[in-house]
Amino acid sequence: MKNTLWKALGILILVYVFAMTMLVPLGPGLLEFQDVNQVIESTREGRAVPEFQVIGFGTHWDQLPDSLQVFVQSKGQLAALEVIRVDDATHATVGLTLPYSLPAKSWNVLTNHPVDGTLLLENGLFLSDRFIDAKATWPAPSFIEHSSQLGLHFPYQPRIVETIRNLMLHVPLWFTMFLLMGIGFVASIKQLSNPRNQRDDDRAVASVQVGIWFGVLGLLTGSLWARFTWGAWWVDDPQLNGALVTVLVYSGYMVLRQAVDDERLRARLAAAYNLFAFVILVILLMVLPRFSESLHPGKGGNPGFNSYDLDSALRAVFYPAVIGWMLLGTWMYLVTLRMKRVNRQIELLP
Amino acid sequence: MSQQTPWSRYRFLTAHAFRMEWREKHGLAGLFLFALASVYACYQVAGGRASSETWNALAWVVLMFSAFNAVAKPWPEDSDAMRRYLKTTLRPSEWILARMTFYAVVLSILSLLIFLSFTIFLGSEHFNAMQGLAFLLGLESTAIAFAALLSVLSAISSRAGAGFGLTAVLGLPLIIPIVLISTRYGTDILNGILWIDTAHHLLFLGALTGGIGTLGFILFPYLWRD
Repeated sequence: MKNTLWKALGILILVYVFAMTMLVPLGPGLLEFQDVNQVIESTREGRAVPEFQVIGFGTHWDQLPDSLQVFVQSKGQLAALEVIRVDDATHATVGLTLPYSLPAKSWNVLTNHPVDGTLLLENGLFLSDRFIDAKATWPAPSFIEHSSQLGLHFPYQPRIVETIRNLMLHVPLWFTMFLLMGIGFVASIKQLSNPRNQRDDDRAVASVQVGIWFGVLGLLTGSLWARFTWGAWWVDDPQLNGALVTVLVYSGYMVLRQAVDDERLRARLAAAYNLFAFVILVILLMVLPRFSESLHPGKGGNPGFNSYDLDSALRAVFYPAVIGWMLLGTWMYLVTLRMKRVNRQIELLP
Repeated sequence: MSQQTPWSRYRFLTAHAFRMEWREKHGLAGLFLFALASVYACYQVAGGRASSETWNALAWVVLMFSAFNAVAKPWPEDSDAMRRYLKTTLRPSEWILARMTFYAVVLSILSLLIFLSFTIFLGSEHFNAMQGLAFLLGLESTAIAFAALLSVLSAISSRAGAGFGLTAVLGLPLIIPIVLISTRYGTDILNGILWIDTAHHLLFLGALTGGIGTLGFILFPYLWRD
């Protein structure tokens, strides 16, 4: 009963994870702040100002169009722009009502709306033709800040956009591989300390066999993700190199096992190699990426996802995903292990 | 030997390895010839106009393949009968230490040879004397790291009875972390970065060599058992 319960729990968690991953909508975001290259009459300023277009992603500006507010912000200075008209849910025309002397060239663009809340486009506006005066200041605009009225949604991240759902596959698959290779590492140590026992060798090979599959799946999901966010199926990144080499190292483990006929010798040699493999895995995936530039989130220092990158909606799916994949991986490992043992029994039959 | 200690046995084994190698000179000569021929092949491929990136990449590749070639030769002591006899007279850990030392010395000489022939054939215009010395230091550290890893792997594969092919299959992926650190160090040196600012790579290499060596030292006795 207990043995079925945790497997059922794992499957239920994964069903929940897949449902949430596919069904939870992506939150709104800002795509672009575009110069239309013409002027438009501003009623607030009483003069012609440059016309810009704000392009949103998944925004709801057609609801309550009068409440849309657009700001630019740089070095603590905030300026409200005049919203001339809202074209549709994701497009709005804005007049660049800014003075001629500005404290900076590069500006963040912000929007505030009763449905979407505050959205940010980092360095969305770059002005090269203005007079730069570092001391230029003006009074902060007074406005009502609306908070988001949307239900559960995944955060919009520039460039990642919808592919953020891959987080529930890619990262837990690697975590599961770590767990399985860890099981194999412990089994190999036990095998070496008690060489008469074949059970630990079965454990080691079963965990590595399943772990390699999780590694391959991690590589494939990572490759897909790289194609959509970094533009190539494979990029030169320490984390990617480490992941590929890890899979190769463990494939070498399987080759080594094929090369030895004597069962006890095979168990011993494979266990010795497996210890090397795990040490190299830790070095490649946990030590080296911390000392080099990486395209992965939290680059240069932290190879994993920074905790600030995960908001509550992502966490509500990501943590169960890690547990679910690990339970499934353990189950797969136990099935493989039982198969090894049954095969051994069959070979012993007269 | 009347007074045998682990230290004296280790010294004897190391000296013995060199003596055996020296008697059959074709082994060492073949190794150095392989390295020289590889450098010359690189010279034919890249010419004297090799950019600093090419220079760097080719140097590490030649060192890597020469190192694999160095450990390819099977030892007479690897045979089962010899191993059973040796087990009664010495400890396996002394044997692996002697073997690591032997390979470390051979690969150090080999890396010096590779460096010199590289400067002769592919030119030395990418660095000054100090940078050249720093690069050579990186080559030597890498050679010692290779020696620590490959002597254990060749022991595994010769114990498996599968010969050199298996050493390459097992060794090439495992050697990549070392190669990653070394090439990064070499690139930094050739890009004119101050030695002190990239010397931490040498520390990494040393730590890696120490870790691999210790692991091999602990594991080798298990490989020797029947």
